[in-house]
Amino acid sequence: MEDLLDISALIQLRVDGQFHELDVLPSRTLLDVLRDDLGKKGTHLGCKTGHCGACTVMIDGKVAKSCITMAATLSRAEITTIEGLADDDGSMHPIQQAFWDEAGLQCGYCAPGIVLSSLELIQDNHNPSTKDMEVALAGNLCRCTGYQSIKRSVTEACVRMYPEKK
Amino acid sequence: MYARPRNLEQASELLASLSSGAVIIAGGQEIMPYINYGVMMPDVYVDIGGIDALRGVSAETDEVSIGPLTVHRDIQNVEEIVERLPLLAYAAKQIGGGMQVHNRGTIGGNIVAMHPLYDVAPALLALEAEVELLSEKGSQRMSLSELQDLSNHGLGTSSILTKILVKPMSPTTLWGYYKLKNSAGAYGSANAAVVIQLDGENIKSIRVAIGAATEKVVVVSGNLDSYLGGPYSSEVGLAIQKTCSDAIGEPLSDQQGDGVWRKAMAGVAARRATEMALGKLNNSSSKG
Repeated sequence: MEDLLDISALIQLRVDGQFHELDVLPSRTLLDVLRDDLGKKGTHLGCKTGHCGACTVMIDGKVAKSCITMAATLSRAEITTIEGLADDDGSMHPIQQAFWDEAGLQCGYCAPGIVLSSLELIQDNHNPSTKDMEVALAGNLCRCTGYQSIKRSVTEACVRMYPEKK
Repeated sequence: MYARPRNLEQASELLASLSSGAVIIAGGQEIMPYINYGVMMPDVYVDIGGIDALRGVSAETDEVSIGPLTVHRDIQNVEEIVERLPLLAYAAKQIGGGMQVHNRGTIGGNIVAMHPLYDVAPALLALEAEVELLSEKGSQRMSLSELQDLSNHGLGTSSILTKILVKPMSPTTLWGYYKLKNSAGAYGSANAAVVIQLDGENIKSIRVAIGAATEKVVVVSGNLDSYLGGPYSSEVGLAIQKTCSDAIGEPLSDQQGDGVWRKAMAGVAARRATEMALGKLNNSSSKG
């Protein structure tokens, strides 16, 4: 049975559209792999306990906290980071533009996580209520912008991305 | 060292062959913070995330069987649970950490952690849930309440939680869950789950499970017998509050609040959960 044991795990990740095969030690987090191995510095390290949400990415289309996700457990996964949202020409995704226009970020540390959590919400629910937004953002702490302008940004993003719903 | 067994047989053989024990990991939401801060430094990780037998929810007439790898998001939304175990689906929505944790955290991990602040156990204990464990000794079935009192179950290191089994709630069962918390994604300071049966207007049975107040979830049922046979009133509500608060022996005293306050709030949470349960009756009768 010991032959099941290995020093590391071989994983296959498609990160922001690009395929990577990686050999990772089991104690490493997805956040470590994204930032240190793949240079995705847009995914931020906050608390390493799963409270703050600055490290939020999407795993197979669902938001997750990369600092408490063990990379080895993702044998095959599709990852979207904040860096996967903008177009190749550098123009921002409509949700990013809405956050910019509505001042949905101030220092910006929490912004990658907030934007991705908001994106998962509005992809499922094109016309979210304030309560829906509060539930969707319960795992993301912002200490400077304030949630009012964040919620305004989410509403604006819905108007731009799904105009037929308004 | 890391291993990803493909089935339960492989996993249990592997765990039995390891003399120094292992850490069993699935969603990782419970143990990764400990690993990040060096509180846990296991030699061997056994990743059970690839074992299909631990997935899925199936509903028979007299039992709902929940695979321990079912994530909180699915507990909230899967039809079999929403329809047959609405109390559990509702309690899973109250779990802290936000959607990110709901998407990856598993019901099995939540139970194995046996953390007093977690939301799943009060709901499952109110519903008299049972669990199935697989260890070197073979498969064992016991009530969650018994498991809570066992210290040598080996879950998380040498034995695997293989199933959570719950009797479906009858459509006439009234239920409530109240979590006293100070922000949306936070832990509670008192979590109460209530299941009530009425006979006409009179209370036929009532069972309360209170979490976040003591080291273990406290189940209050026999102590509430004096309220059976009569109707609910605000006086009865306050009496239930007192009985439940009195059932809290040694309250926790931590960042969630001081012990004296926690003991008092345990009763308040129980009363509010009861009011939520009975409110459903009023809402449905006013509609009807």
